[in-house]
Amino acid sequence: MTRAAPWLAAAAAMIAVAFLLKDFGYYSDQYRKLMLWVALALGFNFLFGIAGQVAFSHFAFYGIGAYAVVILTFKAGLPLGVAVVLGLALCAVLAIAVGIAATRLEGFYLALATMAFAQLFLVVLTEGGAVTGGAGGIANYRLPALELGGRRFTLTGPYYTSLIALVLLATFFVFWRLDRSYFGRACRAIRDNPEAAAAMGVDVARTKIVVFTVTSVLAGAAGMAYAFVDNIVNPPVFGLENVFLLLFMVIIGGSGRHAGAVVGAILLYMLPYVLTPLIGHHQALVFGIVMVAAMLFRPDGLVGVYDRLRARYGRGAA
Amino acid sequence: MSAPPLLSARGLTKRFGGLVAVDGVDFDVFAGEILGLIGPNGAGKTTTFNLIAGAFAPTSGTLDFEGKPIHGLGPHEVAGRGIMRTFQHNMPFAGMSLIDNVLVGCHRRMQSGLAALVMGSRRAAAEEEKARRRAAELIGFVGLGDVADTPVVNLSFGQGRLLEVARGLAGEPRLMLFDEPAAGLTPAEAERLSDIIRGIAKRGIAVLLIEHDMRFLLPLAERVIVLNFGRKIADGTPDAIRRDPAVVEAYLGEASTIGAGEEAARA
Repeated sequence: MTRAAPWLAAAAAMIAVAFLLKDFGYYSDQYRKLMLWVALALGFNFLFGIAGQVAFSHFAFYGIGAYAVVILTFKAGLPLGVAVVLGLALCAVLAIAVGIAATRLEGFYLALATMAFAQLFLVVLTEGGAVTGGAGGIANYRLPALELGGRRFTLTGPYYTSLIALVLLATFFVFWRLDRSYFGRACRAIRDNPEAAAAMGVDVARTKIVVFTVTSVLAGAAGMAYAFVDNIVNPPVFGLENVFLLLFMVIIGGSGRHAGAVVGAILLYMLPYVLTPLIGHHQALVFGIVMVAAMLFRPDGLVGVYDRLRARYGRGAA
Repeated sequence: MSAPPLLSARGLTKRFGGLVAVDGVDFDVFAGEILGLIGPNGAGKTTTFNLIAGAFAPTSGTLDFEGKPIHGLGPHEVAGRGIMRTFQHNMPFAGMSLIDNVLVGCHRRMQSGLAALVMGSRRAAAEEEKARRRAAELIGFVGLGDVADTPVVNLSFGQGRLLEVARGLAGEPRLMLFDEPAAGLTPAEAERLSDIIRGIAKRGIAVLLIEHDMRFLLPLAERVIVLNFGRKIADGTPDAIRRDPAVVEAYLGEASTIGAGEEAARA
């Protein structure tokens, strides 16, 4: 059970924070969104930092998950559980389709193809008429009551925040386990040298498609959780700029490292809230300068800085 | 050699446009032997190597491994059958630790599905544990135990070559392919690599070497195949090859093989 202890402790701490914030609506809302960004950054880190795929469709799958659960529940009238399963299946099918086409491409071309997909998603949302609600999106819905053991209850307030904490932890757990397995090593091998990876028996095309699908489906799951945070889904929420923020989070934190994704996501999510009161709109300028400086001087990110400091000063002779 | 060959090539041919790089070559590789593949520049050695490794498919002819055809399979499928290789220009996974590099070589032996990996099934854990023991053992076997924690980008060229050997062996190959393994090594490193290759063959693994450096190859190989202009011109023991008039003629004046050329010319 010792291996489970850190995860249980993390779950307890995150749920405790959810209940501490229950009377502070604004902070509770920010806490939920922060956790979802961390979940997204973990997935994007696996896709980009570990598997080396420069794919810009990650945030679009977040949107697909959110829209899918709302449309299937409130337009198609399906029970929530069915809507969630079908929504995840939709993400998987789309990811496999995009993955088969896109994994034949590399680097710049993969980036362009996945960006085109993300853009196409936004066009479909805007032009989707009654199904997607067009430019205004879909609003005025609430998380349906769940039935469990004959009792009906609705997850609200800190309970829903706790659910998001569990979604985040489950996402982290999946990527953590996969990264420490032969599958994670195969992904890193493909990132570093696809020719040598193939010579070692790694099916490069298949592995790329699997990584793309797993990360996209988990982004969709986070999107489903998001759908009931603001209780509105509309195209601007899923704009293309978001995926670049994910990219910056992963690079600033330390590409290829789970801790980097967590630190990067927390830092960049909070940065505007800290800087805006101090310097107003100039915060975007500071953000840009920090990004350029990070890429020039510390391409291994904050986690890399921490490693260096620890190697120099920490823990005696290791 | 009465046992059936591990790998047998029949009429192996590869054309690139108008150029016939490999032209109807027949040869066999037997388990546990060290076979050298030599020839002057442009003789078709590298093409033959790439045909076996699955980098491209032959234009015609067959390649059977353990009695089953492998021509036309991709590199990962060839590796999956138990044929591993090293690269002439070291190709480490630069962002990974040394042990993780070697563990990638174990890939074909890993059977657990993604769900078992996430749930941490007992079988997946046992498989991982076994692979880690094997990787650590191989790092010791090639003599990289002292640098096991060094980032692979900081390894010397010779150490990088040994990493390639350990990584290939991790896949428990039946046939190990070496693409000019002595290229770029110091004489001392080449000597150590010779010992390691002999050790590999002792484990019952067939070794096929492409090599330019005759001083490295001839004392090491038990049998040598000579290619010239895409055709096999000789197949025999190193001593027989040295005296073969066709080989002597093919090699006369070849700068890169002066040692063997002179020796062959004198014989």
